[in-house]
Amino acid sequence: MIHFIDRLQICWPIIMAMAGADWVGSEIKKLVPGAIVEVSDLHGTGDHFHVRVISDSFDGMLPLERQRPILDFFMPHIKSGVVHALDLKCMTEEQAKAAGNTVFDPHGEGEKQFMGIHIRRPKEK
Amino acid sequence: MTEFNWTPNELQKIVEENSIVLFMKGTPEAPQCGFSNRAASVVSQLGVPFASVNVLSDPRARNALRDWSGFPTMPQLFIGGKLIGGSDIALELFQSGELQTLAANATSND
Repeated sequence: MIHFIDRLQICWPIIMAMAGADWVGSEIKKLVPGAIVEVSDLHGTGDHFHVRVISDSFDGMLPLERQRPILDFFMPHIKSGVVHALDLKCMTEEQAKAAGNTVFDPHGEGEKQFMGIHIRRPKEK
Repeated sequence: MTEFNWTPNELQKIVEENSIVLFMKGTPEAPQCGFSNRAASVVSQLGVPFASVNVLSDPRARNALRDWSGFPTMPQLFIGGKLIGGSDIALELFQSGELQTLAANATSND
């Protein structure tokens, strides 16, 4: 029992340090073997991620099907707050070539982020 | 007004009674997150009425919704009672024209 507690204390800082772009990327590579995974840490805070997952294994799958194993894995980490935002783009190689830059920052500056479609916010009082 | 407790039955009823439902942070007029803004913008472009549910209106909402739908992040778009996905999927399907088709099919009986 004491041994177990010792191990827990040692493990904690390692687990904390793992939450970051590298960790997100390596976990997704395990979930989608052979995929090209590009992770952008949107704020440098290690919890808002834009991720491009490029794999021809997605061919013929609906968007939600493509994301499902990744979402299932990150569900507990999103619930616990370790990951705050996970913007996923699951594409085939052909789609990735056509897509260009897909990075979207939800807390970015101003209206230039909104990709041509935008709802006007009511004027703040 | 009757009490709403975010139970699976209550959530199911919302997506069955409304052809298009967007669970989001804030409202389409005043979104509280960029992803929710993006999804609301996309859905608004469909030109059909849709229901939106503000998950910031109740601290229980987000966890209840995640557990029920199995989808971890906000916003969440439902069309015809089926989970479509979050804002990235909504935008992708809008750009390919598939979202318009899904919405047209779901609202044809309204």
